[in-house]
Amino acid sequence: MAQPRIGVFICNCGTNISHVVDTEAVRDHALSLPGVESVRTYKYMCSNPGQEMIAAEVRERGLDRVVVAACSPRMHERTFRGASRAAGLNPYLFDMANIREQCSWVHADGPAATLKAAALTRAAVFRVARQEPLEGLTAEMCPTTLVLGGGIAGLTAALELADGGYPVVLVERTDRLGGNLARVDLTAPHLDSARDLLTERITRVRSQPNITVLLHTQLKSLSGFVGNYTAVVEATKGVAALAEPVRVGNVIVATGYREFDASRVTHYGWGKLPNVVTSFEFEKMLRAGRIETKDGRAPRYAAIVHCVGSRSREFHGYCSRVCCMTALKYSQEIKSAVPDCYVSDLYIDMHAFGKGCEDFYKRGSEVKTLFLMYGKNERPVIRRASPGDDCDMLIEVDEQLSGERIEIPADLVVLMVGMEAREDAGEVARLVNISQDKDGWFMESHPKLDPVATTTDGIYIAGTCASPKDIPDTVAQARAAAGRILARIARGKIEIDGVFAEVDEERCSGCRICNELCPYSAVEFDGEKKRSHVIPAACKACGACVAACPSGAVKARHFTSEQILAQVEGILA
Amino acid sequence: MNARKLQVALYWGAACGGCDVAVLDTDEFVLDLAEAADIRFWPIAVDGKYDDLEAMADGELDLALFNGAVRNSENEHVAKLLRAKSRLLVAFGSCAHMGGIPGLANLTCKEDILATVYLANPSIEPGNKTVPQARVLADGGELIIPTFYRRVYSLADVVDVDYFVPGCPPAPDQVKNVLLAVVRGQLPPRKSVLGAGERALCDECRRTKSEKKIKRFHRPHEVVQDPERCLLEQGILCLGPATRSGCGVRCPDSNQGCRGCYGPPSGVKDQGARFLSALASVVDSKDPGEIEEILAGLPDFAGFAYRFSVPTSTLQRSHRP
Amino acid sequence: MSYEPKLVAFLCNWCSYAGADLAGTSRIQYPPNVRVVRVMCSARVEPAFVLEALARGADGVLLCGCHPGDCHYSEGNYKAMRRFPLLKQVLQAYGVEGERVRLEWVSASEGQRFADIVADMTVRLRALGPSRVKSTLQADLVER
Repeated sequence: MAQPRIGVFICNCGTNISHVVDTEAVRDHALSLPGVESVRTYKYMCSNPGQEMIAAEVRERGLDRVVVAACSPRMHERTFRGASRAAGLNPYLFDMANIREQCSWVHADGPAATLKAAALTRAAVFRVARQEPLEGLTAEMCPTTLVLGGGIAGLTAALELADGGYPVVLVERTDRLGGNLARVDLTAPHLDSARDLLTERITRVRSQPNITVLLHTQLKSLSGFVGNYTAVVEATKGVAALAEPVRVGNVIVATGYREFDASRVTHYGWGKLPNVVTSFEFEKMLRAGRIETKDGRAPRYAAIVHCVGSRSREFHGYCSRVCCMTALKYSQEIKSAVPDCYVSDLYIDMHAFGKGCEDFYKRGSEVKTLFLMYGKNERPVIRRASPGDDCDMLIEVDEQLSGERIEIPADLVVLMVGMEAREDAGEVARLVNISQDKDGWFMESHPKLDPVATTTDGIYIAGTCASPKDIPDTVAQARAAAGRILARIARGKIEIDGVFAEVDEERCSGCRICNELCPYSAVEFDGEKKRSHVIPAACKACGACVAACPSGAVKARHFTSEQILAQVEGILA
Repeated sequence: MNARKLQVALYWGAACGGCDVAVLDTDEFVLDLAEAADIRFWPIAVDGKYDDLEAMADGELDLALFNGAVRNSENEHVAKLLRAKSRLLVAFGSCAHMGGIPGLANLTCKEDILATVYLANPSIEPGNKTVPQARVLADGGELIIPTFYRRVYSLADVVDVDYFVPGCPPAPDQVKNVLLAVVRGQLPPRKSVLGAGERALCDECRRTKSEKKIKRFHRPHEVVQDPERCLLEQGILCLGPATRSGCGVRCPDSNQGCRGCYGPPSGVKDQGARFLSALASVVDSKDPGEIEEILAGLPDFAGFAYRFSVPTSTLQRSHRP
Repeated sequence: MSYEPKLVAFLCNWCSYAGADLAGTSRIQYPPNVRVVRVMCSARVEPAFVLEALARGADGVLLCGCHPGDCHYSEGNYKAMRRFPLLKQVLQAYGVEGERVRLEWVSASEGQRFADIVADMTVRLRALGPSRVKSTLQADLVER
């Protein structure tokens, strides 16, 4: 390797750096270092004149590496990489020493800070000497999207993409579209018909030529990387849906939720007491237009119990979000159908956070629902009433607001069962390579800033499979995921950053220690060659496989061991 | 062509004799070797004195195979002699290559070793505190014995070495290959490792390899092993992934984990550190308490991962005060 | 000249390096003994780096990553978490005081925490005295 010609540029940052660090002393030290051809100081290196100084110096002195000692690379690495590129250098032949945020701003002792600045600059010089020019890669972006799940989330996402002009393959496990929402009568808080909402969606999906709907179908395998996935689907029943594997660019996982099994809460008596029903069973009654007990009578007393399976130490700790408003809906619907019925609503807290929800709550009390608050881990107990009582069941509850233990009558009890992750969620997660949190919900890339993407590029999640949520949020996520994909497709190609890991197949022994370590499934094993290799497009350059390889066969581009150790050497020299 | 026989010397430093036996284990080949070569010096097998070596001219020997580590000044003295007298000096076997088993002494110190052997030993008669000294006056003269160094060195730490043949001991087939290569003059660039592969042992090992996720470590006798499956995947320690191939996978084929005697694969400096990183990475837990429990199944990790390579590892020896 | 510990710190780009930068923008002062090497993730830090740093004269090595569960690359910090106890075992076998190497989780918002960790570690390293590793290895060269 030819001796590098390194230019060092030290920024005073006005006086932010120079008021503590003697930048001239750092300059003198840098000049003494091997490979350093020129050292310049300047007031604001990131400014246009500063960047032009770099370009001029590179040209005039024939420099092939650049070190800037200034602020944090998190601030201006991009700026100076750009300046290096403008000067005709590969942007990866640049390194930065942080002598502001991690030096002049945190150390008052001038001589000590200067020594440190010199050490950090030296470390950058040693490192940059071992850096290599890197080029990025481009790959195709297949415009077809795979949507898993034909519920409201899947239908919405598919329409958004198809209306945008791109093909969608919509895969649904059961024999029809609509998902859990198809089992619902009216939605809260505006009491819209779920059927109307769904019918509109389903009709449009069916008539949208860009969407291929595959019922009775599930995903069997997914391989490849963003823009270039290959999906193999299989029939859950009957004949194979698609003979050929299908090429897709992205996947939206919208597989929904299942309801909590109420029989697990033994003292609610579901499955034993005939008039204890779950919310979905109640929806059936509402759709049939008949609210009645098992023996066909209109109930005189009805009770609705919140948080069945949710917000509990024993079952799931989380809140299922939709049940409170749904419960209010039920109390209003019961009152409307059976005006003489006494309706009690047993809740822990009333979660009325959405638009129109507080008003909905007020309406609940306007129709004379009796609201009874119980403690989080002190569940009411439902039992059969005695023959002398004028009701079917009695509910004992430690009512919090009055502080009294009371007994209320009930002919019909509706249990607001919570949402939980589907039984097959683990399998789906494994197939598309996303993670689940401790409750089984699919994990987003960042809970605040990136709620529909996942750590696997090209796989998006939308709706209740990610966490309990209502219809507006589900639809928002579905459209967001579709929007992200549309933006990606519009770019045409995907740019893969030049920084990724690479396996040296001459040194790889096929031990396979690396394969399981990658959260992005970027390290694959070739069974025939008996060697592992990294898929550059999928690699995020974290370096986990690099550090773990017992042969040292994986190289971290731009973060090689030689470069890092050169930095350490520079620091300690 | 000159029919001059190859002039060969074999020597053992801090050694067990196994490497010499490995040469004898080449069976009939060693007889061919005796035909093709003059064995000028081989303490375990033929008569000879140091004076014989001193008397040789520089470069008079074609090949010197030095096995064993450098523990004392005698080992170093002979290493330097052989370096001067031989065209080619080969570090033969783990001890010469990396320090080997004697190298484990680097995890203790000279004082503790001498105290254990000469002072705190139950077989020492009470009151006897005799510890060997390098120079002792006796009977009007001075007795000098080699100085026991305060740590063990590999051969390359004390002299310039041409080639390295790893193994504890090197596999007989490989010994044959190396000697034939010398005889035929078919040697790779200086400083190469001979008689071994470049990649890690997994490349040679016929066991099936798949997901590596370890929930528990087991001693080999604690579980009924699957003879077809990777040992590490079964929780049985095997240094194979961080060990150079070439030995014929003798240990995993005998249902024992590889112990690392061929040293690290090509390009790796510190065998133990690489293995540490690899092994810890595939421990299957995210809970600090559980991780601690799983790792408690490795009572002497340093001793295992650095069994043959302490003197040539990054830290080289104990740094206790 | 009295001994001033040399502390090498490996900080992950997304959390701990950002946290250290935050200490800077907040002008939180801490001892200048620490010099930082930036990596993308704590998972990149090889035990070999720590050993090399000690062999080249570092008196202490600090490894920082994101809090468990918050790793930008999902699980990188767990790899660091698993490697660290074994590294401590190896250091113990080699007679290097365990307190010279430390693993801490520092988030991007924990500028004060970073400064406190550095200050604390510097004090402890001062009390421990200089690391003997480099000087012993150099003395070995001279021994024979």
